[in-house]
Amino acid sequence: MAVDLDTKDQPPPEEQALQAWERDLEHIGIMGRLMAGRKWHGADWWFVAIAIVMVAGFIFVALFPGLIAPFNPREQVGPRLLAPGETPDQDVLILRVGEPAASLVDFAGDERIPTGVVRGAPASEAVRDQADRITEELNGGGDERRVRLRVARFETLDEVLDALVVGDVALAAASSLEFEAVADRYPDLFVAGPVDSDQGGGQSFLMGTNQLGQDVFSRVIWGTRIALIIGFSASLFSLALGVPLGLLAGFAGGKLDRVLTMIMDSLYAFPGLILAIAIAAVLGPSIFNIIMAIAVLYIPTYYRIVRGQTLSTKEGLFVEAARSLGAKVRVILTRYIFPNVVPSVAIIFSVNIADAILTGAGLSFLGLGLPPTTPDWGIDISRGAPLMNQAWWIITFPGIAVMLLVLAFTLLGEGLMEIFNPKLRDR
Amino acid sequence: MHPLLLTFMIFGIPALIGLLYVFVRGTPSLRRYIVTRVALTIPMVLILASLVFLVLRIIPGDPVTSSLGPKGSPEVKEQMRANLGLNDPIIVQYLSFLGDVVTLDFGDAMTSGQRPVVDELGEKFPATIELIVPAALVALTIGVLFGTFAAVRRKRASDYGFRLFSVVIYSMPVFWLGLLLILVFGVWLGWAPTGGRIDAVINTTLERTTNMLTVDSLISLNWAAFWSALHHLVLPTLTLGLILSGVFLRLTRINVVETNEEDYIAAARARGIKERTVTYKHALKNAMIPVVTLIGLQVAILLGGAVLTETVFNWPGMGRYLVERIGLRDFTAVQSTIVMFAVFVALISLAVDILYSLLDPRVRY
Repeated sequence: MAVDLDTKDQPPPEEQALQAWERDLEHIGIMGRLMAGRKWHGADWWFVAIAIVMVAGFIFVALFPGLIAPFNPREQVGPRLLAPGETPDQDVLILRVGEPAASLVDFAGDERIPTGVVRGAPASEAVRDQADRITEELNGGGDERRVRLRVARFETLDEVLDALVVGDVALAAASSLEFEAVADRYPDLFVAGPVDSDQGGGQSFLMGTNQLGQDVFSRVIWGTRIALIIGFSASLFSLALGVPLGLLAGFAGGKLDRVLTMIMDSLYAFPGLILAIAIAAVLGPSIFNIIMAIAVLYIPTYYRIVRGQTLSTKEGLFVEAARSLGAKVRVILTRYIFPNVVPSVAIIFSVNIADAILTGAGLSFLGLGLPPTTPDWGIDISRGAPLMNQAWWIITFPGIAVMLLVLAFTLLGEGLMEIFNPKLRDR
Repeated sequence: MHPLLLTFMIFGIPALIGLLYVFVRGTPSLRRYIVTRVALTIPMVLILASLVFLVLRIIPGDPVTSSLGPKGSPEVKEQMRANLGLNDPIIVQYLSFLGDVVTLDFGDAMTSGQRPVVDELGEKFPATIELIVPAALVALTIGVLFGTFAAVRRKRASDYGFRLFSVVIYSMPVFWLGLLLILVFGVWLGWAPTGGRIDAVINTTLERTTNMLTVDSLISLNWAAFWSALHHLVLPTLTLGLILSGVFLRLTRINVVETNEEDYIAAARARGIKERTVTYKHALKNAMIPVVTLIGLQVAILLGGAVLTETVFNWPGMGRYLVERIGLRDFTAVQSTIVMFAVFVALISLAVDILYSLLDPRVRY
């Protein structure tokens, strides 16, 4: 009985002779290879799984940035250069105790109201903004009164508050934190309420704000879309040109092959970014031109791989058989040779997207990419660079985003390469 | 002597001696290979030069418009165009450009000073060389050291750690890494200067011969200048070197792993040779052959990365010059810079191919 069980667990003799990884890979299909790959490669399987999740996540973000980004990436939504998570000071209106008015509206009238502020403080602008807004609202409602301020600027907050106590000014506007620090010394004054500027108030931002008061997080989210568009379309263009050329050159051979290969090799050997800079500068800033500039660089990558594979595949017996049965060249190329180069093209495509995104970011960084208002990672990094000393967050987060996106596609390509190319196993 | 010539001589003369040595001592088939290989670099440079010439002529805008702007009167512009030879038929322009390439006298820049391009390149090219040579050394050192280490400790945590490092570092934009290094080591810690090639004050004491500042200061034994130049080199070199190190690390690791499975390694182990000797003497030596080839391919990436690194570190090299001159539509300057890059890349890949044939006698031509 026990002997029976043992033989049942053993694989059939012919399979037993082969190691698991020596089974004929050509006949187990793509899913079979993926499943088999899981067993050989340990961590690589996980690399691919993680990469797929990351790529899917980025594609989702690129498709629906509006769902995730809290703000419009092109609009000023907060104070300038606010650190991540930092709550900006709320500006407040300070009045004397016993003043009949309780807010700015109550000062509406024909006279200019003397208002004390600290020179250069954001509160100064905010209180004037609010006065203008109230006037607009009143006039809109048919009310003829206006809130007009006569701003008196002082050097320190103490001077402002002293002036308010003695009655030189009727009201003061200052940051709440600064006022609270000295509030004990001015028992006659109280905070009447917040002053809301155009920049919104009291809100903190996950990744801070940039020098224009735009939300860095929203810009990073919207930048995903641009990066993916550039990466995908540039790689698709190169694929569409490089694969047919490679098939043709590899299959036809002869003079055509030699000339094409020489041109492609010169392109391939030349520093890609420098060529892209030349082409992009020449074409001018637009997303289509960037895509074209990058696409040209990667044509040789596809060409070389496809040509090499075509050369080896066309010697195969099945191609010989098709030819002797009288198949047309077009049929041999598309039905017999092309399917054999698809796996390598898929791998190159994934790695290529990663490269294209990096090159695109480099072009934007040099100012050769898109118009400067575009929420693009490269542009954000280049514009944040001069302010790096004060605001590390402007360059850091877009850079991390580039890195993660490129990492996702690189890992995907590398993992697929190891799984599909059994020769490279266990490395 | 012209600094451009000097720079090429520093690298060219040893390479030439090596080439002659290989040529004289090599087999006939190797000799034939070297001749074809040298002959092949010429069409490569010409193809690229022609491509750039064409692209620049197709695009809208010319140096006259970009330097005069909308203000210049049509007559003045026409006069300038005639002086620069822009009104000649395109084929005449092309032939005179090819003549310039062959004689290596690129003429005067069309905008911004109109100095001879050769003089401008004589300042910029050594600066770029001074940046990329140490960067390549950094990349090679990190890559080979850690790659071997990872291969020896295959499938352990440290191996996966190094592999992750190589992919992550490859995914970083080089300009971003540069900015981060400036931020941390330049601004926060204050250990290294954040840009430029040398302190302005010390610069005035330095006698220029090759325009490679470390070399110049060594020649004139100006130690203050040497340290300053070296200090300014640290961050840019590290930036470029780190970015490239990932690729070298991976390739070294793969090759050492592969070589480790060869029969002669097993034989060496069976004879009781120490593991360390087996790895570093038997396996690494053979695993290094593809790594050498990779250097040739990486030169292109190195030069591209140098453009961005130069921009970040305010390094007055070829890359920044090119970007600036493309903006001005300075045809001569751009063409000459690209030809210069092409010649450099072609020479390096030539040297690497020949080195490869020396290192690996199994290769037959």
